[in-house]
Amino acid sequence: MSIGSPQVRADAVAKVTGVARYAADHRPPGMLHARLVTSTIARGLITSIDASDASGLPGVRAVITHHDLAGELNPVQALVDGGHFHTAACPLAGPVIRHAGQIVALVVAETGEVAERAAHAVDVRYATGPAVLDLADTDPADDVEVARWEVGDRMPGGAVAVDEVYTTPAQHHHAIELYAVLAQWRGASLEVDVPTQWVQGEQRGLAAALGVPESAVRVRAPYVGGGFGGKAVVLWHTVLVAWAARRLAAPVRLFVTRQQCATVASFRPQSTHRVRLTATSGGRLLGYEHDVRAQTSRTDTVGLAGTAMTARLYATSRIRCRETVAPVDAPTPGFMRAPAEFGHAFALESAVDELAARLQVDPVALRLRNEPARDPVTRLPFGGRHLSQCLRLGAELFGWADRDPRPRSMSDAGELIGWGCAASLYPANGGGIVECRMTLDEDGRAVVEVAATDLGTGAATVLAQIAADAAGLDPGAVVVTLGDSVLPAGLMAAGSCTTGSAGSAVYRAGLLLRAALERGESAPVTVTARWVPRGMTPALHAAHRRGSRVQLGPVRDGRVLFAYGAQFAEVRVDPVTGMVRVPRVVGVFDAGRIVNPRTARAQLVGGITWGIGHAIMERTPIDRSRAAFSGTDLGACHVATHADVGQVRVEMLDIADPAVNPLGVKGVGEIGLVGTVAAVTNAVYHATGVRVRRLPVEPAVLVSAR
Amino acid sequence: MRAFQYTRARSLSEAVTAAAAGATPLAGGTTLVELLRAEIARPAHVVDLRWVGELREWDTAGEPARIGALTSMAALAADPLMAARFPAVVESLQLAASGQLRAMATIGGNLLQASRCPAFRDGRSPCNRRAPGSGCAARTGPAHDHAVRGTSTACVAPYPGDLAVALVAADAEIETRSPAGTRRIPAAALHRAPGATPEREHVLGRGELIAAVLVPGGPTARNAAFVKVRDRGSFAFALGSAAVGLEVSAGLVIAARVVLGSVATIPWRSHEAESVLVGERLTAGTARAAADAALAGTCGPRAEAARGAVTKACLTAASRAGVS
Ligand SMILES: Cc1cc2nc3c(=O)[nH]c(=O)nc-3n(C[C@H](O)[C@H](O)[C@H](O)COP(=O)(O)OP(=O)(O)OC[C@H]3O[C@@H](n4cnc5c(N)ncnc54)[C@H](O)[C@@H]3O)c2cc1C
Repeated sequence: MSIGSPQVRADAVAKVTGVARYAADHRPPGMLHARLVTSTIARGLITSIDASDASGLPGVRAVITHHDLAGELNPVQALVDGGHFHTAACPLAGPVIRHAGQIVALVVAETGEVAERAAHAVDVRYATGPAVLDLADTDPADDVEVARWEVGDRMPGGAVAVDEVYTTPAQHHHAIELYAVLAQWRGASLEVDVPTQWVQGEQRGLAAALGVPESAVRVRAPYVGGGFGGKAVVLWHTVLVAWAARRLAAPVRLFVTRQQCATVASFRPQSTHRVRLTATSGGRLLGYEHDVRAQTSRTDTVGLAGTAMTARLYATSRIRCRETVAPVDAPTPGFMRAPAEFGHAFALESAVDELAARLQVDPVALRLRNEPARDPVTRLPFGGRHLSQCLRLGAELFGWADRDPRPRSMSDAGELIGWGCAASLYPANGGGIVECRMTLDEDGRAVVEVAATDLGTGAATVLAQIAADAAGLDPGAVVVTLGDSVLPAGLMAAGSCTTGSAGSAVYRAGLLLRAALERGESAPVTVTARWVPRGMTPALHAAHRRGSRVQLGPVRDGRVLFAYGAQFAEVRVDPVTGMVRVPRVVGVFDAGRIVNPRTARAQLVGGITWGIGHAIMERTPIDRSRAAFSGTDLGACHVATHADVGQVRVEMLDIADPAVNPLGVKGVGEIGLVGTVAAVTNAVYHATGVRVRRLPVEPAVLVSAR
Repeated sequence: MRAFQYTRARSLSEAVTAAAAGATPLAGGTTLVELLRAEIARPAHVVDLRWVGELREWDTAGEPARIGALTSMAALAADPLMAARFPAVVESLQLAASGQLRAMATIGGNLLQASRCPAFRDGRSPCNRRAPGSGCAARTGPAHDHAVRGTSTACVAPYPGDLAVALVAADAEIETRSPAGTRRIPAAALHRAPGATPEREHVLGRGELIAAVLVPGGPTARNAAFVKVRDRGSFAFALGSAAVGLEVSAGLVIAARVVLGSVATIPWRSHEAESVLVGERLTAGTARAAADAALAGTCGPRAEAARGAVTKACLTAASRAGVS
């Protein structure tokens, strides 16, 4: 059995030796270099662009502005409207500025240095209008509702209530690999190397915008240096570079700077959560109310509604949720690791901890006491649900029983110690239709092909393990080829379901190959398989045929399907400076069957690391007066370093959930983050007695509140 | 980046000659190269100091300790004599930047590192420090970016470096070389508060190079601590920092140095805090009182961070002075 074994990633050596070539590593002959110029204002109009200095520099081949693009590109749709784009608004469609850092020109030159110099020399003048970016500066009356639903008709009169507001900051993905593009035309055909989570979405989006047939566009992303949602959709600079390559009849490669990455793609919007919990004095939850506000852009209504997840964590008889978005002068927000779960779970799991403190009940016991037998929203049965087991095992591994529940009761060497916990859940999404081709050649090598993407997670390795077991081959004989739009239909790598969906297609192909060999067919043999998840409706089939994204959610086929987890964190707080350290985290996860414990663990540890970062440092500051992100480089936007991450212990229950997919796999990419944030902030409360409801925890808050 | 002339100086006098003719000195390049690429610095001429042997000499056993300007941060931080004589200086180096940067970056370059204010660094927001007369975008920006001491209407950018804070507390001097010869400047007088001319960040004249840093030994240098408050465990500038040096006799503080970092536009010596400490026993209460005195009338995340840093640095320095 290859499934279940901790295989090292197939591409590990290629990556650490630099042999793996990422989009920006390619250098075809005659290649030109592009750089972006972005707006300095947040809202208004471009009144003039003087590119004469830039164009006059030796080696500059083009300065492309909205004057050049007018009427050149077809209208397209944003992902949220069934299309493939980050936003429907092409930044160079006209002189309108919609947010700070919007693309206003693309400079193309013979060297990168000249392009960089020329980008600085483009002089853009604006007429500035009033702009708003921070959620705090918006009026809820102008919000757009994205979700509103309730269960039960009257709030039961609970003995105890928690009613608090929690806020989360704007954040950016900051994947180590920056956004980049290489576009080259061969006659009427376009080839694009671009880090993307969705090669075929990219292909379709480019074809639509440029007005060429889909078959004339090939998109490759064999290696992606982290996506986290930022690379899920077509970004406009990709189209602009393809357009420039056609116009200049030469390959064009663009690097986007770290600072520009923050405004030419999506981000995690700011959010506020008002959570009201009511419970009996014995700690039985009765009611859950959750009102959410988040930023969106003025062009696209992006609602990352997460109450449909959090409402399923505990047994409650009355639920009332409302989610709205406030249009602001921002780039369109979008997916970022656990997009609809992070803020919502932080809010709920903080409120549950507050309730436990108020009731003087142990927070683990409180959670166990409210384990639902059926889904509280639909009354449907759950698929595999082992949250209680995660909580119990986590508590045991962490040593939770030794916790003195009183805040500020534990200290060591002058530091306050706090222990906190939180529960996690993440939808076991179903993906959509996936196809896979598998070929056994005369050398005994089995090539598996599917247009899925390995974002660095080890997806290709995991798929090889599945293929090997299904076909009855040695995993070393399987070669998995992903990240190319010419391959059989794959999905966007998002929603933690690549292993479950692509894996199901690969599994089926492997079985077909095995059957062919058993029938006596001899190499070369090619089989193709098509995986259609249960729960595809006619509307979803139609969307699939149109080329729109299909993502089956957690409620399908008469069941409610989630992955679960429980995180326990220890913090140490310096009472003098307020600095918070996280020396220890234990996470126990019910993520279905674990195909590869090594890569799965890496994902969960990565998620926990993000959770630590989100709890104590990650935020993109906003300059409210100028409606701009302020400080978008890695000097200002901190992510956790090794020094911030102590001992992390991850346990996986490894219980296959056959209701989810034939492999019983639920997904590990995002859930590690979900509960970690509240586990850390709950631990901070336990250490200091200060309840932090605004992320991230700031040292000053912990000392000044004393 | 704009084209510039590049000169590799082979001696200090060659370097001084080039600098006097208007060349910008290049040491480890960890600040300057970034500014060149962003076109924040636009020199016509750069003189590379890295081949100037005289600037690389250092002697931490002597009195005063003499540290050539080109000594790397990493090398100085690893020197055991430094750790014994000037623990706060070593802490300020160890807690700065990252291992890779400390290996490249030099002592002289560190002292003259540029502002980290986002308005300055983004290369395009109004910023009087970068483009005199253009205004100050930071004033109306996040409080996180505001210094609370030494500001002016023209500029609120905190001085970001760590080493200078510890050197001011150690009564260090900066030895410079210019066409006019050699002079010594107290470390405390190297940086200029912005006033109406924030673009003039230090007192060095045209063609004047930092040759060495001189650090005198003594009780306040030895019984000293540098504390840096920040949101992450490594590789981050301070939100607020403090270097404190104490001389203690018969349980009473008889001399004190309290210097704040990252909270003022320059390394900020607080005589107010020092006078709270002198003549007193150092306890948690006096440490806190010193911090309050240093930051009286200020508020915001940087002020709070610096308050914690002063308090903790007082307590650590006291334990180094043998106060139990
Ligand atoms: C990501 C990052 C994080 C950082 N974090 C920290 C931190 O936490 N704490 C901290 O203190 N610093 C930090 N720094 C700043 C870093 O320490 C400085 O960039 C470095 O010390 C500068 O030294 P250098 O030799 O590279 O100087 P250069 O970049 O070569 O020069 C810097 C400036 O000094 C001038 N100069 C250099 N040498 C001389 C001389 N001998 N005489 C006259 N002028 C001279 C140059 O002309 C230039 O203006 C960080 C830097 C980066 C990039």
